[in-house]
Amino acid sequence: MATHKQKEKKQGASRRDFLKVAGAGTAAATFGALTLSAKEAKAQAFDAEYDIVVCGGGGAGLPVALFSRWLGNKVIVLEKAATLGGTSFKAAYWYWVPNNAAMRKAGIPDDKQHFLRYVARLSQPQNFDLNHPRYGLSEWEYSMCEAIYDSSSVGTELLSEKGALPYRHVAPVPDYFAEMETIGATGRVLFPKDGAPSMSDGGQVATRTLSTACRRDGVTIRIGHRVQKVIRNDRGEVIGVEAKNDDGVIRIKARKAVIFATGGFTHDAELRKNFLSIPAYGGCAAMTNEGDFVRISSTLGVQLRNMNYAWMCPISFEKAIAKDPSLIGCFSVAGDSMIFVDKRGKRVVNEKLHYNELAQKFFEWEGANAQFPYLILTSIWDQRAQDNSASHEYGRLIVPPGIDDRHVIKGATLEELAANIDTRLQKYAGQNGGMRITSDFVPNLKASIARFNEFARTGKDLDFHRGERGVDLLFNGNVKEEPGRKNPTMWPISDAGPYYAALVTGGTLDTKGGPKTNPEGQVLDLADKPIPGLYGVGNCVASASGRAYWAGGGTLGPIIGFAHRAANQANKEPVRG
Amino acid sequence: MSKFVAAVKAVRIGAVVTTFVATATPLFAADDLAAAKEYTVRYCIQCHTFEQGDKHGQGPNLFGLIGREAASAPGFVYSPGIKEALKGKVWDRDLLDAWLTDTLAVAPKAQMIYFQDDPKARAKLIRYLESLK
Repeated sequence: MATHKQKEKKQGASRRDFLKVAGAGTAAATFGALTLSAKEAKAQAFDAEYDIVVCGGGGAGLPVALFSRWLGNKVIVLEKAATLGGTSFKAAYWYWVPNNAAMRKAGIPDDKQHFLRYVARLSQPQNFDLNHPRYGLSEWEYSMCEAIYDSSSVGTELLSEKGALPYRHVAPVPDYFAEMETIGATGRVLFPKDGAPSMSDGGQVATRTLSTACRRDGVTIRIGHRVQKVIRNDRGEVIGVEAKNDDGVIRIKARKAVIFATGGFTHDAELRKNFLSIPAYGGCAAMTNEGDFVRISSTLGVQLRNMNYAWMCPISFEKAIAKDPSLIGCFSVAGDSMIFVDKRGKRVVNEKLHYNELAQKFFEWEGANAQFPYLILTSIWDQRAQDNSASHEYGRLIVPPGIDDRHVIKGATLEELAANIDTRLQKYAGQNGGMRITSDFVPNLKASIARFNEFARTGKDLDFHRGERGVDLLFNGNVKEEPGRKNPTMWPISDAGPYYAALVTGGTLDTKGGPKTNPEGQVLDLADKPIPGLYGVGNCVASASGRAYWAGGGTLGPIIGFAHRAANQANKEPVRG
Repeated sequence: MSKFVAAVKAVRIGAVVTTFVATATPLFAADDLAAAKEYTVRYCIQCHTFEQGDKHGQGPNLFGLIGREAASAPGFVYSPGIKEALKGKVWDRDLLDAWLTDTLAVAPKAQMIYFQDDPKARAKLIRYLESLK
């Protein structure tokens, strides 16, 4: 660093000062790539030099930094936010690891072909073919899915052995479509060892143990550093990055590789609007997930893949509009005496459908009226659900006293509740296409409740089959004990108020598209050749999962596998002087 | 403006600044508060709120933090680990500075994982947080 400063002084107006003016403020950040000639690259002193530069200190960045460090590399993590963990800090941090060591030890079978069949069926249902050698997946998709099976457990065990992420096996948790496969349908979910029994705080625990291991083992961590450019030499090899911090812009040299782990584009409205297949309002990813790698890589000749899909979850419409950084997706829709209704007051969905699939409902298109009729649904519950199902965990809409409840609408009667729902919808007229409740909302709502109450009494939801699948029960949340009840997801909604409501829409946990990589995490160019020195892991690069959410932790488990592979491949890169 | 007048004004402004620095808090000029606020809000808003009466986020509302008993914001759900480590402590400049240097050194099981080894950055955060009263 000292030599660089001396050089700047000699040159008069320093590069640092120039860059400070050029990139004034986050909004004016300039993304892309910078190519330095051999002479420039030599003469151009970098502010610091590492073997591996990891961009992003979240669920992908921390593991890949550790794996790289343990291979003997000098590693730096550049994190845009003030704290580590990114989206994974907010997550429950279940991680889904096929054929994990705990399964093997317990003798739970999980063979590779059954695994591949399961993920193929869900990722590409329209192409799925049991008789096809790759079950209908493309070569790329198949190789990425194989990598998940082969490496997630390897990475997981190494993190555990080194004390960076000790886990406990939560054997009874089923995959989200466990009924599709008899083998490997349960047992793949791991959870940070010291997490709470409710399994909601794994992100905090994992971020703590992973970042503690980084510091213990000598990974350099810099917060408040937003990477905005990759630096290439005149052979097109990536040799470093340019990052913006509060003092200006710095350049970090990467002797071996730059590994991006900067998350998706949940919080970039422009990218969302142009790439996602759905008009989502946002989601619960870390606020710093603004598609930086999509923008940076756009000048590098990469192939963007799977940009149309996201890891989905229902979210509070009002919290999303308010861009509440503390927003957590509704991973568990709580309450038994609770239903979702549309603007007509009619039930349209199984409210206990697990989050990724429930979230799709909001984006159903109605051709005849050219509208998204379910873009905002209203969750309605009674005092019983409020008293017994309130919780501050898992992004629940029913919250206990003291927790932020600005999203909750109240009414002493259903008529009053309906009027208040309509008032609340009107407040957002410019953001919801002028959505209002219809004039027959109250009678429809009363009829919906009467029909639901009948289902609750018999335990059979004849309309939407609520509570019939194991996964519905997994996310039921706290409900009042009712001995002898057949279906714990349902209970009649009270004839008497008060009543409560909240506006719900579909959101992204984070997006899952970006530059295509190979299974070793190398970012590929248009000819499917790795761009030397450039890697990507996690939600900033293309997932082979299509629209699927295979199981709880289907995000983080595979990411650990890819982080392990990327670190090992990057370690083999020639040192670039 | 003649060169002479400009020179006099420059001298007088210089004098005022000198006086101000001598009498004000030695660490900060008045305008630093705005910069401290901008910096703190930009980085901390992911988890915290700052105005009186704001709802808690992933972390507690920070209005009135200095002088408050640690881990005591009404309505915020603290983890047992943080409550135990901060038991009986009151937020003052020194505790806050230690906390921001490395939260895990103060409370090994803290939910908040933050470490800032730059004293200038910590001073900015403390400057703004102590103004919230």
